Amino acid sequence: MFIVSDFVRVLRAADINVSTAETIEAGRMLDMMGFADRDLVKTGLSQILAKSESDKEAFDECFEDYFTALSFAEEQDDKADGPEASEPVPTEGEAPSTASQSPANGGLSDLLLQGDNAALAAAMARAASQVGLAEAKLFTQSGLFTRRIMEAMGLEALEQDLSARRGEGDADGVQAIEGARRKLFEMVRDYVDTQIKLRTANAGRRVREDALSRVKLSNLDRSDMRIMRGLVEKLAKRLATAHSRRRTKAQRGIVDIRKTLRRNQSHDGLLIDLVWKTKKIDRPRLITMCDVSGSVAAYAKFLLMFLYNLDEVIPKTRSFVFSNQCGEVTDLFQEQDLEQAMARAITHYGGGSTDYGQSLSDLAHYIIDDIDHRTTLMILGDGRSNFGHPGHDILRDLAARARRVIWLNPEPQALWNTGDSEMHRLGAYCHLVQTCNTIRHLERVLDNLLRAH
Amino acid sequence: MTSHTQKALTEIARIRDGFAVSGYICDQKIATALHLAQQLEKPLLVEGPPGVGKTELAKAAAQYLGLDLIRLQCYEGLDESKALYEWQYGKQLLYTQVLREKLSELMDGADTLGASMGRLNDFEDVFFSEQFLQERPLLAALRQDAGCVLLLDEIDKADSEFEAFLLEILSDYQISVPELGTIQAKTRPLVFLTSNNTRELSDALKRRCLHLYIAFPEPAREAEILKARVPELEDAVARQLVDFVAGIRKLDIKKPPAISETIDWARTVLLLSASQLSAEFVEDTLNVLLKFKSDIEIVSPQIQTLLRETRDAS
Repeated sequence: MFIVSDFVRVLRAADINVSTAETIEAGRMLDMMGFADRDLVKTGLSQILAKSESDKEAFDECFEDYFTALSFAEEQDDKADGPEASEPVPTEGEAPSTASQSPANGGLSDLLLQGDNAALAAAMARAASQVGLAEAKLFTQSGLFTRRIMEAMGLEALEQDLSARRGEGDADGVQAIEGARRKLFEMVRDYVDTQIKLRTANAGRRVREDALSRVKLSNLDRSDMRIMRGLVEKLAKRLATAHSRRRTKAQRGIVDIRKTLRRNQSHDGLLIDLVWKTKKIDRPRLITMCDVSGSVAAYAKFLLMFLYNLDEVIPKTRSFVFSNQCGEVTDLFQEQDLEQAMARAITHYGGGSTDYGQSLSDLAHYIIDDIDHRTTLMILGDGRSNFGHPGHDILRDLAARARRVIWLNPEPQALWNTGDSEMHRLGAYCHLVQTCNTIRHLERVLDNLLRAH
Repeated sequence: MTSHTQKALTEIARIRDGFAVSGYICDQKIATALHLAQQLEKPLLVEGPPGVGKTELAKAAAQYLGLDLIRLQCYEGLDESKALYEWQYGKQLLYTQVLREKLSELMDGADTLGASMGRLNDFEDVFFSEQFLQERPLLAALRQDAGCVLLLDEIDKADSEFEAFLLEILSDYQISVPELGTIQAKTRPLVFLTSNNTRELSDALKRRCLHLYIAFPEPAREAEILKARVPELEDAVARQLVDFVAGIRKLDIKKPPAISETIDWARTVLLLSASQLSAEFVEDTLNVLLKFKSDIEIVSPQIQTLLRETRDAS
């Protein structure tokens, strides 16, 4: 069942998590139903191996690519031939000599001359597994593997045959074989390219995502935005699943008398079934205020993007944006899709130069009745108030009422308190002040925030 | 074509026909999933938007196989005693009271504490026996002689602890009851789990199941379903209904109408004996299809356009 394990490897490269148990199950299914009906195989495998809607989409793509590359029709012929031929590609454990024997014995030139494409494809697949094409990591290796596969298929014998014919003066034969060799080269090259693409298409993306999550948000290209958006969505989803699970925590050892009495009423008041007290884990109520003036708009955009996606775990979030005054964008965010909402928030509030005093007093006006011991206030800004009043007294009042105040500053710590930065005065009233300028930082902050509650 | 494949295809075709008899029109995918679930003896996890017939599938399967359907509706806070078994404490207490005299008779003549214990030991299992065991759906399903169809409905509504508790049943078809030992399924039940995807299910659960995603059906298949469910409906009207609903599903609305709503709408058409869809009729009965005011507001200005498209299509 080399086919199954190899296909599973391709699926894993496409970010579908397939377990060993599922691989075995897939093998059982193919044993049971055979390869003959393509649709049946596809449906069956997809039900066994792909376990979510997005996985199924990725699965369909992989299936089409993989089984075109392997030429499905030829496989069923092999299957029909009998048990010996049922594995078109030998497993890696088998002695390679048996695999390479048939084409190496001068068979390659015969195959080429006869134009037996099916047999050629089979020989090619066999040679590919022999040279370990499945291990290829980079597209730059394609030349190397093309050469190796051709050698494994018996290129040497072919060359000898060619020079022998040249010696005999068989011009027609020489021409025919040379033509066929070029064709073979094209074929192998194509095959290798498809295979490598199948296995490494996602590796590149993964490296890129990894790098992007560490790069400073202000240094992002416009072209990276699309990948970034996907990345943010993925991280938000990860946080959401990690924190949506347990909302109560049992406190072992303390009996909840009221609940116990009620539960045991049917036992005539005998306390048989004890109920332990549980502690409810509150989901945080979050109020965010983002600076959207030119200098930090890029960061605000990502924070808001994150919050937009975190909606499931933190349902009661109120969002505000400010530059020289502060305005609420909660409704805007709920009603419109992200791009539009962002653009409107920035054009509407992002014009002026930052005025922390005015903005904080605006914010206090909006939220003072809504802020209580469960509320976390999160402020994203560089703390640069253009030498105006920083509004730290207002922040002090807000902090006294809130559970926590978190300040995320996109500038590195070394730049705080230089020039017009008021971090020392504003930061004094915050429970946490942190540099936050990459997606990694953002994820860590939000993870802590969710865990602390 | 090999004989295995031939056999599987025949079996799948038979399932489709069998389901059609009981009024459930299924496509190749659904039938294949069912065939695989039977052959590989694996539970089948069915996902899809609400109202595409996930629960119906289990019912139809039970009918097709001629087995009982045992259903467990999942909800937050569902636990072992509701899902698996419970001791009937009340009954146990009552019996102890009634049998008190008998018990003291039994104890008569035993001089030492040890001797009384010895005598009691002989009867130890009386109060923890089958008689006092209240079966809940999971246990009931395992103890069916002929096997059954077990439906765990809306598994995503249950807590993740309960999900973990299910793993033993799903992979080995057995459960451990401390007082009785491990109970093996007499005949392995065919298990269906349905989920509306309100939360992500754990990988462990997904790994143990086959996964079937049912999407909204193609118009042609939906028309077939309508035909099976509302036989009095004329073909042309059915087709029109289905095309119109397909049009609505393409709009950006909160809750797109499901198959069950299309069926309700078809019944409405019959009830009001409308011979074809007019803009007026649609306007008046839109609330059968759409369950949110905001959705109705989005769709109603577009009724004319949608109807025109439907007419063009037919």
